[in-house]
Amino acid sequence: MKIAYFPGCSLHSMAAEFDVSTRRVCQSLDVQLCEVKDWTCCGSSPAHGCDELMSLALPARILALTTETENLREVCAPCASCYSRLKFAQERLTDPRWRADIETVVGRPCPPDVGIFNMIELVIGKVGLDNVASHVVRPLAGIKVACYYGCLLTRPPKVIGSTNFENPTDMDAIMETLGAQVLDWNHKTSCCGASFALTKTEVVLNLTRKILADARNVGAEAIAVACPLCHANLDGRQEQINAAFGTDFHVPVFYFTQLMGLAFGIPPKELAVGKHLTDVGDFLKERALL
Amino acid sequence: MKIIGESSIPLDPNLAEEIRRRCGQNVSLCYQCRKCAAGCPNRSFMDSTPTELMRHIQLGMADEAMKGNAIWYCLSCHTCSARCPQDIDIPQVVDALRIIVQEKKVKTDAGSVTLVNRLWMAMLRLGRMYEMGLASLTNLLTGRPFKDAGLAARMIRKGKIKLLPTIRKPLEINRMFKRARKLKK
Repeated sequence: MKIAYFPGCSLHSMAAEFDVSTRRVCQSLDVQLCEVKDWTCCGSSPAHGCDELMSLALPARILALTTETENLREVCAPCASCYSRLKFAQERLTDPRWRADIETVVGRPCPPDVGIFNMIELVIGKVGLDNVASHVVRPLAGIKVACYYGCLLTRPPKVIGSTNFENPTDMDAIMETLGAQVLDWNHKTSCCGASFALTKTEVVLNLTRKILADARNVGAEAIAVACPLCHANLDGRQEQINAAFGTDFHVPVFYFTQLMGLAFGIPPKELAVGKHLTDVGDFLKERALL
Repeated sequence: MKIIGESSIPLDPNLAEEIRRRCGQNVSLCYQCRKCAAGCPNRSFMDSTPTELMRHIQLGMADEAMKGNAIWYCLSCHTCSARCPQDIDIPQVVDALRIIVQEKKVKTDAGSVTLVNRLWMAMLRLGRMYEMGLASLTNLLTGRPFKDAGLAARMIRKGKIKLLPTIRKPLEINRMFKRARKLKK
């Protein structure tokens, strides 16, 4: 299967693990990712808070370029923010008045019918759990995993088209297929404060602390995520949170694609697990995943 | 909500309509059920709740809506809009207010948000986001040059931050900005 691929700025820098593990897992699953040529920033949160037209035109440009990528009509955007912005642009493109303005700004035809997938949707909807199960050679035997979805993969449901937005279960299903023991917890879809990382860090530390605390309270050995900013906060800020709140968090946080790769028997090095700021080496050793 | 002598409140009767024109959201539908305020993860930082914000717009209380910190503490997490029984996309209403404030240069309690927005939009013209540049400039301009320095050092050691920008199609992106500005006039 072939699909256009829009990694986005984060996957080329602070979320390189997500990019590396996504590509590697797709290779195992025989999914060919065709990177959108000359992709540019989607505008993310700052754009929609200060320039509505550009906040729609920037992702619309990616939708236009998708159709120029080997004539594909579907694009995979693993980053939750890129994914969300593509969906918002698509929603507006169905309104002829908005579409005319957006196309004038982009300077290309922007089709409103490009299929947009995040990685969870790609695995569930395109690859299928049976296919995933057939690749598992090293099951995550009983490892207790808390699946964290954050905000933008399911909300707002009207734009994303999600039905189970208060209790999404698709990542849970993938983890169960890998053999993990998936936990119920309260902060599955709580916000980590992502967009405030540069401006109001105290908010981020406070919200992220609550998520980590809840995961630990239910006995999670690891947290699985599918968003670069969720990962940056949950994995990268544990040290700051420990210093600010006197806690002692040391929770391994994985992109769910990394856990898929580990279960597929792919060497951890090829999944960039060494890039995490909260070390996962001990966890992998204990759980015989190295 | 504060109780204020009604004669002292300047009212803008067109506020709700302007919001609707900009983002298509009809705040008049709000019947103050407070589900949005109950679910808002940042409620404790805001000087008025999302529910109160809807009321301010309905009544045309532009100062209350724009000058407080509520619109600048919205995380755009969409918990409120997912739960709103009247289907109001509250973060889009907040965005519309933020844009009006920035366009009309209203004095507001934005902290460094508007600065970061401006820096982001300027850097975006390179094509791809230059995170290192964005973070350092933000820290410099907000007078906290060493904010997150430890974190940044660890990220650089792990190869998680690019030291140099990646430039892609800057001319095309700049042309997009120009065409957008022309359209808005």
